[in-house]
Amino acid sequence: MRKKIGSALVVGAGISGIRSALDLAELGYQVQLIDRAPHLGGTLSQLDYQFPTDHCGMCKMLPLVERDSSSQYCLRKGLFHENIEIMLSTELVALEGEPGKFQATLRQKPAIVDPERCTGCGECSGVCPVEVADEFNAGLTKRKAIYLPVPHNIPNSYTVDLATCTLCGECEKICPTGAIDFRWEARKEFRILVVDDELIVRDSLKDWLTEDGFQVDAAESGPDALEKLTKQSYHLMLLDIKMPDMDGIEVLKRAKEMRPDVAVVMMTAYATVETAVEAMKIGALDYVLKPFDPDTLVPLVLKLYETVERSGEREMEVGAVVLAAGFGSYDPATGNNTYGYGEYPNVVTSIEFERLISGTGPNEGRLLRPSDGKEIGKVAWLQCVGSRDIQANADYCSSVCCMFSIKEALLAKERTDGQVDAAIFYMDMRTFGKNFQRYREKAEKEYNVRFQRSRVHSVEPEGANGNLRISYTDLDGAGREEIVDLVVLAAGQRPPAGTEPLAEMTGVELNSWGFCQLQPFSLSRTAQEGVFVGGSFSGLRDISESVIQANSASLQASSLIHSKGGGLAEATEQSPEFRDVSRELPRTMVALCTCGDTLAQAANFDGVETAVSALDSVTQVHRLERICTQEGWSQLEEALHSSEANRLLIGACLPYVYTKKLRELGKTTGLNPALMEVVDICTPAFPNRNSNPEQVSREIRTTVAMGVGKVKGMEPTPPAAIPVIQEALVVGGGIGGMSAALAIADHGFGVNLVEKEDELGGNLRALHRTLEGAPPQELLEQTVSRVEKHPNIKVYKKSEVLQSLGSAGHFLTTIEREDEGGVTLEHGVAVLATGGKEATTESYGYGQSEAILTQHQLEDKLHGDSVNPAELRVVTMIQCVDSREEPRNYCSRICCGSALKNALYLKDQNPDIDIYVLYRDIMAYGFLENYYTQARQKGIIFIQYSVDDKPRVEVENGQVTVGVTDPILGKEVTIPSDLLVLSTGIVANGQDKLAQIFEVEVDQDGFYQEAEYKWRPVDFLKEGIFTCGIAHSPRSISETIAMAEATAQRALRILTSDRLTAGAIVAEVRHSLCCLCEKCISACPYGARWRDELEEKVMVNELGCQGCGSCAAVCPNSASVLSGYRDQQMFSVIDAALEEMF
Amino acid sequence: MAEFEPTIIAFVCNWCTYTAADLAGTSRLSYPPNVRLIRMMCTGMVDPKYVIKALLEGADAVLISGCHPGDCHYINGNYKARRRVKLLKEILPRFGFEEDRLKLTWIGASEGVDFAATIKEMVDQVKALGPNQTREQMVI
Repeated sequence: MRKKIGSALVVGAGISGIRSALDLAELGYQVQLIDRAPHLGGTLSQLDYQFPTDHCGMCKMLPLVERDSSSQYCLRKGLFHENIEIMLSTELVALEGEPGKFQATLRQKPAIVDPERCTGCGECSGVCPVEVADEFNAGLTKRKAIYLPVPHNIPNSYTVDLATCTLCGECEKICPTGAIDFRWEARKEFRILVVDDELIVRDSLKDWLTEDGFQVDAAESGPDALEKLTKQSYHLMLLDIKMPDMDGIEVLKRAKEMRPDVAVVMMTAYATVETAVEAMKIGALDYVLKPFDPDTLVPLVLKLYETVERSGEREMEVGAVVLAAGFGSYDPATGNNTYGYGEYPNVVTSIEFERLISGTGPNEGRLLRPSDGKEIGKVAWLQCVGSRDIQANADYCSSVCCMFSIKEALLAKERTDGQVDAAIFYMDMRTFGKNFQRYREKAEKEYNVRFQRSRVHSVEPEGANGNLRISYTDLDGAGREEIVDLVVLAAGQRPPAGTEPLAEMTGVELNSWGFCQLQPFSLSRTAQEGVFVGGSFSGLRDISESVIQANSASLQASSLIHSKGGGLAEATEQSPEFRDVSRELPRTMVALCTCGDTLAQAANFDGVETAVSALDSVTQVHRLERICTQEGWSQLEEALHSSEANRLLIGACLPYVYTKKLRELGKTTGLNPALMEVVDICTPAFPNRNSNPEQVSREIRTTVAMGVGKVKGMEPTPPAAIPVIQEALVVGGGIGGMSAALAIADHGFGVNLVEKEDELGGNLRALHRTLEGAPPQELLEQTVSRVEKHPNIKVYKKSEVLQSLGSAGHFLTTIEREDEGGVTLEHGVAVLATGGKEATTESYGYGQSEAILTQHQLEDKLHGDSVNPAELRVVTMIQCVDSREEPRNYCSRICCGSALKNALYLKDQNPDIDIYVLYRDIMAYGFLENYYTQARQKGIIFIQYSVDDKPRVEVENGQVTVGVTDPILGKEVTIPSDLLVLSTGIVANGQDKLAQIFEVEVDQDGFYQEAEYKWRPVDFLKEGIFTCGIAHSPRSISETIAMAEATAQRALRILTSDRLTAGAIVAEVRHSLCCLCEKCISACPYGARWRDELEEKVMVNELGCQGCGSCAAVCPNSASVLSGYRDQQMFSVIDAALEEMF
Repeated sequence: MAEFEPTIIAFVCNWCTYTAADLAGTSRLSYPPNVRLIRMMCTGMVDPKYVIKALLEGADAVLISGCHPGDCHYINGNYKARRRVKLLKEILPRFGFEEDRLKLTWIGASEGVDFAATIKEMVDQVKALGPNQTREQMVI
């Protein structure tokens, strides 16, 4: 419950958009979250499973601190947060003003179905005569023109697709709740003027458009049109270009002078297309080519009608903007299409496969072939379709497809108990993220997914039975073929539709492939101050990185708003005063919705009412016609106001929808929303479920009785407030630690920065160049100087953490200073940014010759001029030294980039050097691919080796010779090298001790173990402690900074208030019953419990407790209880459930 | 005599199976009305005594259903449930209940179809088992 001072706009409600919106909302800003789609969730709404868990987990993004500010249910279903206003089917159409004070204009498509009234019964869809491809199932199924955009949204209201709707009006007639309103009246007021010298054009246009409800006038010539325009205004003019006495361009010019607001669409024959394009420069909105039919023209007019009809337009002031507009996908049907996408039904894209295997997909999750429904026996995934393809203007890697395909192959294997033959055809398997390499190995070794390194050149039908023949060239040059049931194309990414106008409007720059261009060393800052980018809008990212980048974007947005005086919440707003009912007997008011008379007809409501009245604690029962409507709600509010009830149970449909309403009801009536509950009494009456009114009544009675059982036992005391020390501790003074410290300090909170060395900077001190060209030493200098001068940052150099006590909100940490002794710091949060280091090696003759170096050493020597490129003739680099195999079975992510950087630099200095890079898979993810291309263009030779046939190094008299089997030649190649450079990868910095001190985990490779790789990448399970940089996993400078900003964002959620409210569902200990067995302490997954030795009590940190109830279930004495789920409540619910059995 | 219609108490987790049940409802999937859903935050908080209580009070079967392994909103609650169910199945016969009267499943949020299928299947199984006799036999 914080004071909202600043506000922000988040464009796009996919993962990044939701993440950024939640971040800003959690910091107390008012957030406007918009998406042009009619549903939340972006691409994720189509994905049921994500690597590496092969399940979902999006709900883990929901707020953990002050979590009752937000909905607490599946995030794919929907989101409610008290500081977020969500507008769907909405686009940003203008952004004016300056950073800190933008004026944003939003345009929302007019809603034909009122979501407040729609109960999702589906009657409308049943009568709709239109059938079109369903976008949700990627075109694999059909939907109606009135449809559910996704099957799981809340509120689950139907949407009309005006582009395909025939406006027959049947749905409007059948809707039982009157939720559908086509606003025919408004359409009648939309005046269209058709200007054409041909009568037939005028007449047919008039016919078509009048049929669609518009008011249409016609003019036979330019002067006639202008005369009509003087008499009255028109919303839209359809204007012919070629007319005898005055041409369309002239009419356009004059019309625009007279009526600047009129929207004009030019009608043109093919010959005058150029003129039409000219016309658009002087104010026409669009053009249509003659001859046209109703199918092209009417949707165009409808679209314009929507755009021109300004009723849905809204202006608002926002401090900052986060663009999280997502990504588009390459259409494999474009170009040469040698894979036959669109021609053969059994060639599908990754997204289509995702839908094929989904429970809400066309086959309810069974793996069947699209062409004939036959069970699938053999599937081939083809990688890099429209990525890493210069011909398709895509000299970049789409970064996620490798993992995506492995995941799909695993899912296919799991679905078929391993029966399906799954093969992935790839160029490089880019498993560069944390744990990706092991995931690949699991697929290969445990599930027998075949990994075939090759580029398939074509897919052809094999006979007429739907089978497909794929042809490819093996590594040894031999042509091969395979017959498969299904081909899945890992279609690459493209910028989303509408990127260019959005960029122009917001002032951000685009790179040469049309993605948003980022500022050096940042993953969220753009060329326009105040406009930030989250997620894939600047290049495709997996969920984990989207989340980090979205955190970074919201942090930047917050910093900006803060610096412009918008500020964070400085004071806690008075929590609404709820009536103290702890000394009252439970008195429950029950309100039952009859849903018009739908429910009243399906069940014996009088009987229900009598039965419910007799329940223990029920003092009154109200029957209301439609609780979902404003009127019904007012009646409910009134009834609650005038009653003495201290519990409320609502029986209605869609309980999820009421989260927000109950909160408001709490404010107006003074009854704590924790004492209210909504149960679903609508489902029992669904037509296909139960037709016997007595059975329906019984089910409703039971449901209500269970609800009453639960609310009457609700704990009436309000949740506790937890005090917070508003200061942070950051351990590690590298670029990650410094960036986190600065971001927190910039928000006005004190930071203690602990660095074990006598200088700040960490690994960055040793970096002299970056692949992209931005100078790292400048970054270092600026950052160190800002940190050292910052009034809110206290730096402790030559210091180490000795011990730490406490939990989120209040830690006590002792640090040992080399020169000045120990000091104990009090802080509310901690960031562990202790970095990592380049691994040492004993492989490949390292240490036997001065000519054998690591990549780091080479960079250092090049910088110090002790290696002179002019004197080198042959340089060999070996990638993946001791990496990507046990025991260090992970990719260090940055080594391929470093090798490319150093190789390109050497070539640049001395083009005559022969450079050989011996690699397993080049991890040139994202736009790094472009440097890989450059390297090959410059003649750097890349030779692929396999892990069971590694390169061999011989050192004789200091002379180094490298032998490697070239897979293309099929022969051993010997390379006498002046320098051998080893990419040894990154290892953790020995953080076990620190992990122990802070009671957090490290993973099997010694890096910090985050709470959840995808959805909570910078958190530890223990609340209040965060990690960033290569202490978590290897990453680049900008990736480290983004992650540091993410930790700062997560830390600020806790720091912004001196008191935080615990959730309503939180554990507590009844000390008199507790035997101190400590079972609950080990059961708690969040480390939110500890034993207070002085008090001899088990304590709960309410900030850390997430209300999972593990402790309550494990407690032998029922001393540990979870509010809202006490034993007595549960027993009442079970009793009620079994009161009336069949 | 009318066919035996079992009553099943289902403890479902707030994040996955409850969502799946909701999806089954909104997708208009038909499944028998024999089940009473009790929404818990997590399967890891289903105390064994709730299961025993339900069976003693006359439920013909109990279903516990949550997120798939590795997918628990609370990290590992479903593993705790799995261990508990295994132990419960050992001791249920001592109370006079067939162990098949308790079932544990994983149904993810998007698996409305699986939810409907699980309920159908379970109703059939319990019909085959026959009514829970304990209520008549035991004096509680």
